[in-house]
Amino acid sequence: MVAQQGLAHAETIVKSHFGEIVSKVVGCLLHRGSLALPEIVRFVRLPPPQVRSSLLVLIQHNCVQAFSIERPAAGLGGAIRNVTQYTALFYNILQRMRFTKFSAIVNADLGEQCEYLLDGLLQHGRLTFDQLAVRVTLKHPGGSSSVEQQVTIAAAVSHAERFCEIPDMGTNTIPNVKVTDHSPGVSVGDKRKRKAREVDNDGQATIAESEFLWRANFEKFVCCLKKKACVEHIKSRSGPNAGIVLEAMIESNHEQKAKDNNSVMSSMDDILEGVKVKPGGSSMTLENVRKILVEELGCRLSDEETEALHTINLKNIIETCQNDEVEALVVKRYGDEARRIFTLLAKKGIYENDQIHNAALLEKTKTEGILYKFWKDDYLDMKRAISSEDGRQKHNFLWKMNKSVISEHILNDMYHAAINLSQRATHMIEEDPELFAPYQNLPEAQRKLKIAQQTRWIVLLYSLSKIDDGLMLFLDF
Amino acid sequence: MASSSKLPQKRKQPDSNNILLKLSADERKLYELIESRKNVGIWTADMKRETGLPQTIVTKVLKSLQNKNLIKDVVNIHNKAKKIFMASKYEPSKEISGGLWYTPEGNLDILFINTLKDQCLRYVDRVKVATVETIWGFMKDLEVNEQKLFTVQPTTQQITEILDMLVLDKGLEVLKSSGTGDFARVAPGKVCYRRLKSHEDQTGALASIPCGVCPRISECTPDGIISPITCVYFNKWLGIDF
Ligand code: SF4
Repeated sequence: MVAQQGLAHAETIVKSHFGEIVSKVVGCLLHRGSLALPEIVRFVRLPPPQVRSSLLVLIQHNCVQAFSIERPAAGLGGAIRNVTQYTALFYNILQRMRFTKFSAIVNADLGEQCEYLLDGLLQHGRLTFDQLAVRVTLKHPGGSSSVEQQVTIAAAVSHAERFCEIPDMGTNTIPNVKVTDHSPGVSVGDKRKRKAREVDNDGQATIAESEFLWRANFEKFVCCLKKKACVEHIKSRSGPNAGIVLEAMIESNHEQKAKDNNSVMSSMDDILEGVKVKPGGSSMTLENVRKILVEELGCRLSDEETEALHTINLKNIIETCQNDEVEALVVKRYGDEARRIFTLLAKKGIYENDQIHNAALLEKTKTEGILYKFWKDDYLDMKRAISSEDGRQKHNFLWKMNKSVISEHILNDMYHAAINLSQRATHMIEEDPELFAPYQNLPEAQRKLKIAQQTRWIVLLYSLSKIDDGLMLFLDF
Repeated sequence: MASSSKLPQKRKQPDSNNILLKLSADERKLYELIESRKNVGIWTADMKRETGLPQTIVTKVLKSLQNKNLIKDVVNIHNKAKKIFMASKYEPSKEISGGLWYTPEGNLDILFINTLKDQCLRYVDRVKVATVETIWGFMKDLEVNEQKLFTVQPTTQQITEILDMLVLDKGLEVLKSSGTGDFARVAPGKVCYRRLKSHEDQTGALASIPCGVCPRISECTPDGIISPITCVYFNKWLGIDF
């Protein structure tokens, strides 16, 4: 179940991207589950055309999915009719926070051309090949799409295919919607070739596509961000060379199709080849790489057919990253000594008071104080135990860490923090819509003030991006 | 330094057999009771209850037994006000004295712990990979080289406990030797310790913003009295005067 603050966070994202009305509609779907159009209208108390348009925008941007179900029609003697239901895609809404991260990945991996195409998909949700072609033409003005340009686009799209996918059109109804255009000068609705096929009972226009629609493949991007998070973690823990080796290993993964995306398997030859082409990797020797694989990454060797493969499970690295995040919070909230107790209790098992203060080498009363705080904040489960010694009753407390509850709390707090950061940043823009207008001609004092305000806004946005990284970490990417 | 780091020392045993023969009836009664409690000792109130002797006699007899070096009073770390007596021939149990890490006064010997901790880290920094035994050897050499850091040489048990604590503190990591590279001087498969690089420069995402440690987060709502728009913690964090 998604944390309450998570739903509110998704609503905030939609509000800041598409406005109040659309966010009301999505909020209704997020909180109440799948609904048909008349039900949504009843709950949000908005005129049906507004609700319909909102749904169309949300579907176009992959935030809501429409699907048909069969329902017995009232008063028609048991006749069955098709009803279109709408459901909010919570995780897709969260992805909207990551668009700049996705663009950066494509820019680094595939270059500017592909980034530009991706930006189109991210801005407009879904585009046809023709619409993508228009973007490229507009990007390089001075002629209609020449043969060379067509070739370039085709090549770029096929490269970008890793990051793009064609929406499943099995039973989906795809509405005819004029795309909300966020980029000046690009009219993406122009070249659509669509034929209306049917109109359902709710009076909603639905059409079937006569050609493929492209949209960004969020899963693939998140997978890249996961790789990046793992590499960054290893770099900070074991140095830049270990980061290079892990990156090369993931990129040459023999287990590309592994379902959980966690197991990585690679041969020494492939790793070496990958390492050599990385900046800073060309000077690394076979011995360096071998040492890192064994000592820093703790890789196991497994024999696949004739080839020896090094294997590593990214899940372990992700878990360490999660622990680091929780421990940083524990240190900040409760202090260094509390962290010592926390790491002890994070190991599986149930611990007695005495065991804890003995292992942590802390005063008994201090230990009890920390345990009490953890317990009050739901970090720990506690049980009273009575034992008898020399005929006397001895009271003791048993403590156990509640990891899943801690993760839930942290996730909820992260969603809450994200709402707070973005609300504050939005408020700054509302207070001063000219915040990012040129300030060179302003008097010195005002200029200083403006720079300070801009810096604050950037700090808020940077922190929001970091919180989003944390969210991905705790949502297991 | 580390004057407080004296470990419990065995006291000189009296020639108890001779002395026991010369004890009065009350003295013998009390001594036998105290002795029967071995290294756990007994509280004065319990002595009164179990022997039926009045307080004044108990106090007098205890004094006399102490003068004869047959019993000693020990501090119970769980309740320092509760005076416990024990036969001199026993060392207080870990439960009473707190074990190796407590001063005879019943206090955790923080100075000793910190000195030992610093020395362990210093050594691991120098050799990269260390075992309990190599650290113990290093501490012993310190003593031999007249760098008297401790009044008593730390035991391997103490060093193990300190290392385990450093692992909990994320200062060290514990692993098994591969026998190659940095591990070349440690037999393959043997448990050893290595420095864990600090992540201090990378504070957690939530820990580095005010909401992560905010005591009012549950009351904070977009339109509430406590809200991110009016939040004083945010103002302070963003360097806005308030
Ligand atoms: S915005 Fe301010 S009051 Fe609200 S949770 Fe964050 S720090 Fe606390």
